[in-house]
Amino acid sequence: MSLSLLEGSLLAFVLCCAVGAALLKDTLASVMAFAAYSLGISIIWLVLQAPDVGLTEAAVGAGIMTILFLLALANTVTPDADSLFESVRWRTVALVGAFVLVMAATVPSLPAIGDPTAPVVGGEVTQYYLEHAYKETQVHNAVTAVLAAYRGFDTLGEAVVVFSAGVVALSVLRREVFA
Amino acid sequence: MTADPLQLDLLTSRYNYYAVVLLLGIGLYTLIESPNLVKKVIGMNIFQTGIFLFFITLAFRSGGNPPVVTEGGGPYASPLPHVLILTAIVVGVSLTAVALALIVRIYSEYGTLDEETLEGLYYD
Repeated sequence: MSLSLLEGSLLAFVLCCAVGAALLKDTLASVMAFAAYSLGISIIWLVLQAPDVGLTEAAVGAGIMTILFLLALANTVTPDADSLFESVRWRTVALVGAFVLVMAATVPSLPAIGDPTAPVVGGEVTQYYLEHAYKETQVHNAVTAVLAAYRGFDTLGEAVVVFSAGVVALSVLRREVFA
Repeated sequence: MTADPLQLDLLTSRYNYYAVVLLLGIGLYTLIESPNLVKKVIGMNIFQTGIFLFFITLAFRSGGNPPVVTEGGGPYASPLPHVLILTAIVVGVSLTAVALALIVRIYSEYGTLDEETLEGLYYD
């Protein structure tokens, strides 16, 4: 599949927001750029046939994450912005650029986007879940079937991670309450 | 990128992977270079979503449907990377929450979020 106008503009929007979030000096502006970035990328998930991920990203990435950042900003300080953008340090750009070049060198060996014979899409495991998910779990959505039935214990582990993150955040913030 | 047709073909058939690489670069730059701790967390999140884009692109099938299996439907995108990334998004938010809680604590203890000032205070 070749690059459509919708995908091209979404990718450009997302990359611009990411650069904005990285370089804007005002932390609040940076958080806002990141929220726009999350929203853009959740639309990209929809275009890439992943509506479940898109919904989660829009609710959690653009919603809850932004609230968390805003709460953190409200409880700390935003540095005085004497200029709109931070100055770019070229030494770090060179370092990151080398990393990007090395990563980009591996791209030609990846399968083309949307290739039905690519190992992930055409692989045996994917076919197994698509064929058996409804018969074995009575759930039409294969993502839900895998998440809640086949990998149920993994999702329980995920709940444990969220719980412990909540406990840690509370104990870090209210240390004096427990002392 | 040269004008030779093979390279152009690579760009039009693998554009998402190049976006992944750029997002990883932007995230890494913010993580290393930003003096503000909150912006470092934003950089970490950009790095993460770059990796998510890699997985979701691998699951994409041109002309396919989202993996909601119905009689006679299909072909479908692969559901497995979607599940992995759903888990990863939630874990990423937990990570962000803990990091921001630590940042608020650091601010109430030291009164600054600037990396160099903090380093100076730490070594005093």
